[in-house]
Amino acid sequence: MKNVILLTIDTLRKDVLGCYGNQNKLTPFIDSLQNKCIKFTNAQSTGPYTQASFPGLLTSSYYLEYGRQKKCSPKRTLISEVLKKSGITTAGFHSNPYLCGYFGWNRGWDVFYDSMQDEVSDKIPYIKGDGINYKVDQWLSSHIKDNHYRPFFLWTHYMDVHEPYIPAKEYLNKVDPSINLSEDEMLNLFKEVILKRDVSNKEIVKLLKKLYDAGVCETDNYIKEFFSILEKCNVLKDTVVIITTDHGDEFGEHNGLSHDGKMYSELISSPLIIYFNDRTQGEVCNTLVSNIDIPPTILHLFNLESFEKFRGHSVLPLKNYPQNGVFGEAIGKTSNHEKETDKPTCFYQENDLKIIYREANQSWEMYNLQEDPEEVNNIIKYSSETERMKSKLKPQINRWADY
Amino acid sequence: MNEEVKKKNKELIEKSKQVVREAFKKYDPAKCAITWTGGKDSTTDLWIIRQVCIEENLDLPQVITIDEGDAFPEITDFLVTISKKWHIDLKWLCNFNMLKCCQSHLGNDIQVKDLDERNQAELKRIEFEFKSFPFEAESYAGNHLMKTVVLNKFIEESNTELLFMALRRDEQAARKEDEYFTHHEAGHLMPEHTRVSPILHFTERDIWDNTHLHHLPYCPLYKIGYRSLGARSSSNPGEVGIPAWEQDLENVPERAGRRQDKEKAMERLRKLGYM
Repeated sequence: MKNVILLTIDTLRKDVLGCYGNQNKLTPFIDSLQNKCIKFTNAQSTGPYTQASFPGLLTSSYYLEYGRQKKCSPKRTLISEVLKKSGITTAGFHSNPYLCGYFGWNRGWDVFYDSMQDEVSDKIPYIKGDGINYKVDQWLSSHIKDNHYRPFFLWTHYMDVHEPYIPAKEYLNKVDPSINLSEDEMLNLFKEVILKRDVSNKEIVKLLKKLYDAGVCETDNYIKEFFSILEKCNVLKDTVVIITTDHGDEFGEHNGLSHDGKMYSELISSPLIIYFNDRTQGEVCNTLVSNIDIPPTILHLFNLESFEKFRGHSVLPLKNYPQNGVFGEAIGKTSNHEKETDKPTCFYQENDLKIIYREANQSWEMYNLQEDPEEVNNIIKYSSETERMKSKLKPQINRWADY
Repeated sequence: MNEEVKKKNKELIEKSKQVVREAFKKYDPAKCAITWTGGKDSTTDLWIIRQVCIEENLDLPQVITIDEGDAFPEITDFLVTISKKWHIDLKWLCNFNMLKCCQSHLGNDIQVKDLDERNQAELKRIEFEFKSFPFEAESYAGNHLMKTVVLNKFIEESNTELLFMALRRDEQAARKEDEYFTHHEAGHLMPEHTRVSPILHFTERDIWDNTHLHHLPYCPLYKIGYRSLGARSSSNPGEVGIPAWEQDLENVPERAGRRQDKEKAMERLRKLGYM
């Protein structure tokens, strides 16, 4: 295949997508692609928030591998750097401040748009999906001007699902027309409820989830627009599109809101869809994979050799994928930002078993995701697998001692 | 340095000289001024203009530098030393009224009402609505008062028609389409003038190749890792201990060490609920 696109949607929970079983028709466009896609039902992120997850997504490395750093360590290699060296044009478009040039994510891109030069609205502090699409359209149109354009890797990232949960009215109407909140009222909910992580009022948490759902609906429409840009530029036929997220979002499932340092499914379990234009039948893959496998998969799609520094493995072709279990780590932050005093946390999953360790209180949890998908029955004391699962995490935990 | 680099350097300089000659055809050198920060770009720029003046037997235009009240001592030393060496009568510009209002102390709050009429009017012009702001050269209000206002005042009082700048196209994407000459119409508190950037086509790499090829002086901060020098409190080295020219100039942005980017990122993260 000539080109590869990585389309990431910030803060997108797997369970809001129709193709993953949601009944509310929030994502009609993504759902309509399914007969041309491989859908992974068991993909996990390497971390529950952007800084913990993107090292997996773009550098196939783990968050704390190079110590606790705010910036993307120069020791990591971005997929863009590898591809650029191989003569592939690399372009990235996003509006997540944690991934901006200042934090070191601009390495290896021929074109890198992080929106930091542009003005954003006071209430919604990022460029919305239509703005990102506009930039992509401008770049793509100029890139393919002559028909002999160089193959490209395009990374596009949408922020529209992310709080402050102020969706456009038309999408809110699709989710629940009875909600009649002004932008100021929504911003106020964000400040008073989300920022305070206040889950005491179940009705308000439900309302916030609806605002979130409307953001999902809105983003689905931006993705539709994005695909029409690809069609207009006549590149869709030569392009594989990988659609995924960096992490999910919590609405009270484990007594919290937003996405702090927890390792439960509402934050870690990710949608992962790979779109091939020439497919006529969808495929479902239940293998346990990680977002750390995405950079190697991109190399595979470009027919390039694997890169020794990448920790993951290409999920294609599936028969060659080593089924090992997946790992993730983060700082176990308990509020909206990492404090120096916050301690790390990590998880390891193998088949249906997931073990979680928190350094702060040196606590262990284990869940059987098949029997207990909500992760509320900690079986660490009863399971015969406990010691074996602990032994899988111990090397990672020992690694932290060096920081 | 290989022949290809030397050949390219020759072409780059020739192009710059053409721009400078064109400028002097249109403007009397007595009505021109050269901005010099002591940074690598404006030093290269000055070096080229100076050569043209010598070749064409013209007087070097007035050279000016703006003291933002937060300069690196290394930069100040560099300006003093090189202006002596190159026989330059350097004019130091400064917004004294603003410095007075904060007792020249970085971070001190400045009350807008304490500023003189011109400074107050300038803040109004940029729609700055707060009653006070901290003295930081690269904050929004501070930057405007310490740099833009000072420059505009100089242009007006000296009847300068042409200002030599040292912008480069590769500094940021927004400059990609920039022209060598840009005319600025008169506006409120902004005198009419033209700006020209003779080194617009140089990349950061070209600047360092040129500096080494012709043994141009440079501020020692570049040697310890700084790639872009702004105010002291807002500039950080790219990679500490590695000379600027040995860093990854092609992939890591030059101004990554400047605090403005950080401030913007932090501001947005705060609004997203992360701070």
